[in-house]
Amino acid sequence: MSYFFQIVVSGMVVGSIYALAALGLVLVYKSSRVANFAHGQIIAAGAFITFYLTTTVGIPIFFSFLASMVITFFLAMSVERIFLRRLIGEPIISVIMVTIGLASIIDGLIYLTPFGTENFSFPPFLPQDPLSLGGVSISWTQLVGMIITFIMIGGFSWFFKKSTVGISMRAVSDDQFGSMSVGISVPRVFGLAWATAGLSAAAAGCIIGNITGLNFDTLHAFGIVVFPVVILGGLDSILGAVVAGIIMGLIQQFASGYLDGNWGLNGTGDVMPYVILLIILLFKPHGLFGIHEIERV
Amino acid sequence: MKTKTTLLFNALLVLAVVFAFSASAWAGKVYKIGFSGAITGPTSDAGNPLSKGIEDWFKYVNDTKMLGDDKIEYIIRDDQYKTDVTKRNFEEYLDEGIVFYLNYSTGSTLGLKRDFEEEEMPVAPSSYHEGNLVDSNYIFIPVATYSENVVALAEYVKNNHKGAGNPKVAMFIHPSAFGRGPLEDTKKAVEAGLAIDIVEVVEHGKDLDNSAMLKRLMSKGVQYVICHTVQSPVATMLKDAKRLGVQAASFGEAGKLTFLGAHYTGGSDLIALAPGACEGFLWTCSYNLTSEGNAKAKKQLDLAKKYGRDDKAANSHNYAAGILQAQIPTMAIIAAQKAGMEVNPENLYKMLQKMSGDKAFDSFATVGPVSYSNIDRIGVDLVNIYEVKGEQFKAISSIESEFMKKVRARMK
Amino acid sequence: MSTNQWLATGNFNTAYQQEQRNFLTHLDRSIFSIFLILLYVWIPLMDLSNKYMLVVDNILIAIVAVMGLNLVTGFAGLISIGHAAFVGIGAYTVASFCQVIGDRHIIITHFWPVMIVISGFVGAAFGAVVGLPALRLKHLYLAIATLSFQMIFQWVINFMSFFNQGQTIFVGRVFWFTGKVGRKDHYMFWYFVILTIVVILGFGIRNLLKTKYGRCLVAVRDNDRAADAMGMNPGLTKVYAFALAGFFAGVAGALHAYVYRGVGFESFTLHESVGYLAMAIVGGLGTLNGSFWGPTALKYLDLQVEHLSEVAGQYLPSTMNLSTAMKPFTFGLVIVLFLMFEPRGIANWWRIAKSYTKLWPFRY
Repeated sequence: MSYFFQIVVSGMVVGSIYALAALGLVLVYKSSRVANFAHGQIIAAGAFITFYLTTTVGIPIFFSFLASMVITFFLAMSVERIFLRRLIGEPIISVIMVTIGLASIIDGLIYLTPFGTENFSFPPFLPQDPLSLGGVSISWTQLVGMIITFIMIGGFSWFFKKSTVGISMRAVSDDQFGSMSVGISVPRVFGLAWATAGLSAAAAGCIIGNITGLNFDTLHAFGIVVFPVVILGGLDSILGAVVAGIIMGLIQQFASGYLDGNWGLNGTGDVMPYVILLIILLFKPHGLFGIHEIERV
Repeated sequence: MKTKTTLLFNALLVLAVVFAFSASAWAGKVYKIGFSGAITGPTSDAGNPLSKGIEDWFKYVNDTKMLGDDKIEYIIRDDQYKTDVTKRNFEEYLDEGIVFYLNYSTGSTLGLKRDFEEEEMPVAPSSYHEGNLVDSNYIFIPVATYSENVVALAEYVKNNHKGAGNPKVAMFIHPSAFGRGPLEDTKKAVEAGLAIDIVEVVEHGKDLDNSAMLKRLMSKGVQYVICHTVQSPVATMLKDAKRLGVQAASFGEAGKLTFLGAHYTGGSDLIALAPGACEGFLWTCSYNLTSEGNAKAKKQLDLAKKYGRDDKAANSHNYAAGILQAQIPTMAIIAAQKAGMEVNPENLYKMLQKMSGDKAFDSFATVGPVSYSNIDRIGVDLVNIYEVKGEQFKAISSIESEFMKKVRARMK
Repeated sequence: MSTNQWLATGNFNTAYQQEQRNFLTHLDRSIFSIFLILLYVWIPLMDLSNKYMLVVDNILIAIVAVMGLNLVTGFAGLISIGHAAFVGIGAYTVASFCQVIGDRHIIITHFWPVMIVISGFVGAAFGAVVGLPALRLKHLYLAIATLSFQMIFQWVINFMSFFNQGQTIFVGRVFWFTGKVGRKDHYMFWYFVILTIVVILGFGIRNLLKTKYGRCLVAVRDNDRAADAMGMNPGLTKVYAFALAGFFAGVAGALHAYVYRGVGFESFTLHESVGYLAMAIVGGLGTLNGSFWGPTALKYLDLQVEHLSEVAGQYLPSTMNLSTAMKPFTFGLVIVLFLMFEPRGIANWWRIAKSYTKLWPFRY
């Protein structure tokens, strides 16, 4: 039974990290209807900036974590300003491709540095011994990751519900022309959405980097890994991202916990999310919490 | 569709002219050697230092006039781990008239096997996959194959296991043919009489948490985990094992897990990814590590220093792998020169086949001599077993896999 | 209608039939014929090295694949991020035959045109199945569904020992009337084969777009509900768009298997899917000639960047990975610049150039 609970807890922990990584995608999509395929690269960049500031510049890791979030905040904002501002109103395929092109550009830039190919890891800054509860164990890194996830998600939910800027962001996602007419600066909202996405990407990057070690290939792969999560939750729902993240984490852990090694199957943890995703999409084409848009001819 | 061809045509013409004139006139002869590998993209953490090793060694050969007046012209290309790009590079190298080819990935080595046969081009790949030797005569593997590494680890487990009964082993492998090939050979070794029980085989994914898997292994009474994959998943697993407190303090501690890994699971990259958690990890490799601090290691570090490489590259066993890979054709050329033969693929192939006994060469990059014959196309057969002690790999024993020979004999 | 079929400028169609012609004027047809002949003769005349022959073959294969992608994404407006998987299915169809009957079996080596067609149909079948979610999914959700298909494809190939777990499955050398196609003539031979296929399929698409089915595709792209209201069947149209794309991809995959004489899963990854999309966009989505421009431009750029960065790499410190960083960087930059400044792709330049020459010396 403890095996079962371990899988549940591991699934929840992994799922909440997915949720954090997925949050950036949702934030961008929610306001500007852009699916960001360069998210994985921003995650990696955030992790590497933190690492660089900590080891080479020598700032304590907590501050470099914050600094990295600030840097990716402005980085993502300028990305929006330079590349995506021109594409407002273009067809969806153009927007997807721009972010794919952007991913490739960032790849190239990161390959210029040693970070593109070499392996690193963060200096340990959390207690190394595990937290154990009745035979179920999680690490401090995972726990802190979970806490940061819930703080950020709670923060963003509050931000969207209560603050003026948040409400204007929701208004823009609802109706761009309508919100322009009531005096909301749509470009500013888009910039802000990207910036907050960048910020959350940096946080996700640091947590994932802490668990897997810093390797560019591993890190940027998460940009694709979280796509099933976002789609499952519905592209524009923060709550959806959390629920779907945890569902996906559980599916993955259960698949590798119970399917692998039986019936000659192996490595199912990587493919199951996509299979489940396809099945769910057949029944709920807009994900679990996505808004069902009414289309008019 | 209309003007594109003329455009292509013109540019190709220009390129052809540039290439024709770029080969400079030289007093001695120039031998061309090509390398195509993943300098960026997947597995580039290995491919990048490896390409540096190749480059530095060839520079060194030219700078110290090792071949007399003759020179080696090396061409290094990035194929980003894509077989079709590798094929393009290989075709280009053939057009350029290379005398020896250096390849990188397992996929492309297997994929181009037939081209090597048809062109009768001797090749040294960076892939030590056992399958490279099947149906091929021109592929010379530099060091012990992955299967030899894994089986050697299994043998080491059997020889050093203290408890009663067969040691219970789990295999943690890469979800691809790269991971599964050595697994099959280990199973065959068990059939051939290697007294271990393979309790479970785990093919990992992009896991962020391995607690469940480790607990399952514990509950099945597994004592040893033999890994054959790349560093990153091993690092994640080791960190989880440390957290759960299931890591053995010493080899084979009862009720705990001892972790062992073959070639690509270890090295300085593993320490970089999982500092602290990899203590006690056992690793097989045919390369001499700089952490040994011996005369061989000094030579490697001197070479890296001479060409301005950073510490990370200089101390990487992949850098050593690159050096060895470049040394193989160099030694073959020297042998051909001594024999007064023309340096061409055909003669280099002959020279390599004779490279055994007193003609085997001792490289500073490896733990044993490099020897080839017409039946043996694996260079270094010896593997060192390294253990992580105080964030450094230290050699604890050397082993030459016995059971792998039995497996190969059975296959024939 | 102009009296002189050679010097006609502008459109003078008086009957619907006239608009359906393949070539509007004799001049058009003559130029096209001459150009086609040139395409067939320039290769033997040039005597290109094997490397460039391989590049040219590779471009042509990509053209076949991108024509398919353009049908589904350009004309029917359904984004597919799994096109390389369809190409892979074509290639693995050939590979499966090789696994079952041996790669030097007469069916593989002598009846290769049949194999290519079979691969096309297998690709089409898979296309139709994968297209099923398109009945309910739209836009980004559909794009991600195709992405899932890509991932599942990769996992299956990597997992099944029948497919050699993704490692190369060899395909034997083919025979022609002159006997076995040897190493020397291999690329040249396949150049002619693929070129012929490109011409046939190109005309196929051109004619398809003049039929009801072709116009259905465009109508569904522009507004599927409106199309529905006009009596078309958007669901069926979407599925058959995917099937068509699958057919083209399957053919491209079989060609890839034969040209490279082996099938390994590295050639059909997500990265390649993205590459095909990029080619379609740079060429110009929703245009036939864009399918020719895109692959040519991007593959050629790739080659040039490789040479350029190699030269540049000699003057830079060896610690910089400039030469290898340039490839993804320029690839990305080209896509982004095209989308920002010429979203209609190279095909638009071609259109502008054509209308300019048509009206010259007048501006309007």
